[in-house]
Amino acid sequence: MPEIVSIRGVRKDYHLDKVVVPALRGVDLSVEAGEFISIAGPSGSGKTTLLNLIGCVDVATSGTVMIAGHDTASLSDRELTRLRLNTLGFIFQSFNLVPVLSVFQNVEFPLLLQAKYTQAERSSRVDALLAKVGLNKHSLHRPSELSGGQRQRVAIARALVTRPQIVLADEPTANLDSVTGDTILNLMKQMNTEEKTTFIFSTHDAKVMSHADRVIRLADGLISDPAAGLVGARP
Amino acid sequence: MNGFRLLMRIALRNLSASFLNIVIGLIIFAGTLFFVVGGSLISSIDQSMSRSIIGSMAGNAQVYSAASADAPALFDNWNLPDLAAIPDFSKVKTALLADPDIAAVVPMGVGVATVASGNTADQALERLRKAYSSRPRAPKAEIESLKAHVRQIVKVIQGDYAKLSVVAVADAVDGQSSKDLEKAASDAFWSGFDADPFGHLEFLENRIASLIPDSDMIYLHYAGTDLDSFGRSFDRMQIVDGTAVPKGRRGMLLSKFVYESQFKLKTAHRLDDIHDALTVQGRHIAGDPELQDWVKQNRLETRAIMLQFDPLSARKATAILQADTGSHETDLAKLLSAFFDTNDANFEVRYKEFYGQLAPLLELYRLKPGDSLTIEAYTKSGFQEEINVKVYGTFEFKGLEKSDLAGALSLMDLMSFRDLYGYVTPEKIAEAKRIEAEAGAAAPSRADAESALFGSASAVAEATPVPIDDKAELSGLAGRAESRAAEDRVYSTEEIDKGVALEAAVVLKDPARLPQAMKDIRALSDGHKLGLKVVDWQKAAGNIGQFVLVANLILFIATAIIFVVALVIINNAVVMATLQRVREIGTLRAIGAQKGFVLAMVLTETVVLGLVFGTVGSLAGVGVVGLMHHVGIPASNTYLYFFFSGPRLYPDLSVGSLVGAFVVVLVVTCASALYPALMATRVSPIQAMASED
Repeated sequence: MPEIVSIRGVRKDYHLDKVVVPALRGVDLSVEAGEFISIAGPSGSGKTTLLNLIGCVDVATSGTVMIAGHDTASLSDRELTRLRLNTLGFIFQSFNLVPVLSVFQNVEFPLLLQAKYTQAERSSRVDALLAKVGLNKHSLHRPSELSGGQRQRVAIARALVTRPQIVLADEPTANLDSVTGDTILNLMKQMNTEEKTTFIFSTHDAKVMSHADRVIRLADGLISDPAAGLVGARP
Repeated sequence: MNGFRLLMRIALRNLSASFLNIVIGLIIFAGTLFFVVGGSLISSIDQSMSRSIIGSMAGNAQVYSAASADAPALFDNWNLPDLAAIPDFSKVKTALLADPDIAAVVPMGVGVATVASGNTADQALERLRKAYSSRPRAPKAEIESLKAHVRQIVKVIQGDYAKLSVVAVADAVDGQSSKDLEKAASDAFWSGFDADPFGHLEFLENRIASLIPDSDMIYLHYAGTDLDSFGRSFDRMQIVDGTAVPKGRRGMLLSKFVYESQFKLKTAHRLDDIHDALTVQGRHIAGDPELQDWVKQNRLETRAIMLQFDPLSARKATAILQADTGSHETDLAKLLSAFFDTNDANFEVRYKEFYGQLAPLLELYRLKPGDSLTIEAYTKSGFQEEINVKVYGTFEFKGLEKSDLAGALSLMDLMSFRDLYGYVTPEKIAEAKRIEAEAGAAAPSRADAESALFGSASAVAEATPVPIDDKAELSGLAGRAESRAAEDRVYSTEEIDKGVALEAAVVLKDPARLPQAMKDIRALSDGHKLGLKVVDWQKAAGNIGQFVLVANLILFIATAIIFVVALVIINNAVVMATLQRVREIGTLRAIGAQKGFVLAMVLTETVVLGLVFGTVGSLAGVGVVGLMHHVGIPASNTYLYFFFSGPRLYPDLSVGSLVGAFVVVLVVTCASALYPALMATRVSPIQAMASED
């Protein structure tokens, strides 16, 4: 399988006043297309930072981050945005749906930004995804009319609508009860299988980790078992 | 296109999403409402005022001598501009009429004169004098009636003096006057009257008439003009009483407004004002200090009416008033007081009764069409000039009947105007030289210069005071054979045109061509070396013409303040709204929205908000203007009467202000949303990842 995420010797420092806080202190990570990976670790271990770097919403202080063959350090904000739009999908801990748009419109949103599909194409894609996440009857609802689990399923549909190569999920089940969380993870796994989309999600919950093909454990800005970061989970 | 639809969708959905948006919307609503209504009012006033100004006196433009210190100011009544003379108007007329845009050129000159009106006693005595001196002498019955009237007047004055001696210290009452009054009231005086009527009349005129302080000085603003051309060029002018001045004649038309306010019996004029206030302006005597004051004046100032009654009319009036007031009082003065003591309930009945019953016994106007008026003015060179002009009637400008701005000017023929203006033409100098030679005089001294140059008129002015010359009195009040001849003379258009004018109104065939016509006039003036300047009607009207500019300025400033305040508030509100939406914006950025999209989103939201509430505000404005158009705004004072060109303003919607409102809303919302929109673009997609707390 081709390597879709390649992180080599990445450091990320945050500046709090005059104190430099290292969030990542030299991380090497390799992800192959189609993997279902969990990044685990206690809070403050650098999970979110690593996810932000993969998600092209942040840039490393040093080291290289290659996403789908692009060196993110060499890309402009505009190009990074385009990369996020076309290559990446996002699932957020707090769902982050646009409150004034309906379920359908929320899912359709990235397609409109891409501006390369007809209305019919968009509709069929959105409807198909909503059917997959089991919300085709809720397409006209506003996010505020849905439960947390339903909202996260909308978010999954939105993340997948552009057929991204990678979907990033930052603690996707943190705001959900465990039963709903399981459902969401199962849905993600199903999408991973059916759409061949790479999933990378962060969590600090051991139960959630168990769903992953491979678990990258972070502690104090380093991968606990450096070999785990570079070796594919699949035998 | 999809992007735009997406933006609009978010923008429209966000409209009602936030309380802040409602606040912003209300500000924009109020701003546009104010702008549309204010703009429509001002443009309607502009239109009606331009009708007033152009159609009454100014024409579309005014030309005047470039040598003038000031510019024309037709309606600045108390501030006459210093205009140099146009020595020969005919040259101006010929040159300007060559321009195909120009329909007419009307010569004008504005001035102020004083008119001394004789008091009631003077007028009664003059009638009596006329009755005695007419050949054949007037019938005995008429003379007796006039005598009875004069005797009544003496009685009234005596009554006043008796009251005065009660309230004032003894010294204040002149002993000689009391004696004179006693003599004039005595039977002996009247039984000997017919034996020496002129001697008795002289006693009354010199000793008694002067005791009534009811004569007054009227300031008369006049415009000397070619009356015939004026009447044809200004279609808003219409004759109310009497007739127009026949073509080519000397004569005057008094403004109806001035005629009513200055020449009418004060009591009747006040009744008219109260009637107007009650019926047109919807005011009430109860609770209106001004109206109460007028009622009080009518109640207290009955003497002007008392002086008009002779014994016969006094008896009739007493009977009428007893019936009206239901009183058995026999004192006429007290009855009049009771009659004029009106309130909201009885005013209209009394008003009708006054004009129906009482007015026929009275002279309502101290001057009637056909009478001559002696007017005095200071000439250009500072000498006093006095002329007699026949008043043919009164006129008003349609729609401006109640305006003392346009209504203050009376019209006079150009010949009389030139006499009062006293311009020295080469012909006059030559004439003076000839008179000088005939009289064999040396160079006239400075004091004599006036009479030498304008001999005929001022010679009489000096002769007017005592002693009274019976023969001269035969021909009228001031009795001047020369002016009588001038009054009957018909002047040709050439004579009228060839001479001094101070300014000239230019009337255009198409008012829209004013800027071009003004350019043409300047070119013509230069080409013919006429030395003219030209101003448009707005400037020609004087300060009043600038009203619209000032009103527009005030509206502009008020709107600017409103929208600057709106700008600050909207800016703050959008900044706050943006800060509340940092996560949402971060999310949009994270899932692939470019900075430009975020910028456009915030801007579109604010502009859509502005346009939606701006449209509602404009519609409300259209509704308010429509309502005003239907109901009309009453002109509560004479100034507004002029601005409204009538008793009520029926404003029309100004499309300009509607368009302007939208432009302003667009500019203001864009400007106020720009900073928060730029701020929004700096929101990092990382913000989307931040946890809820």
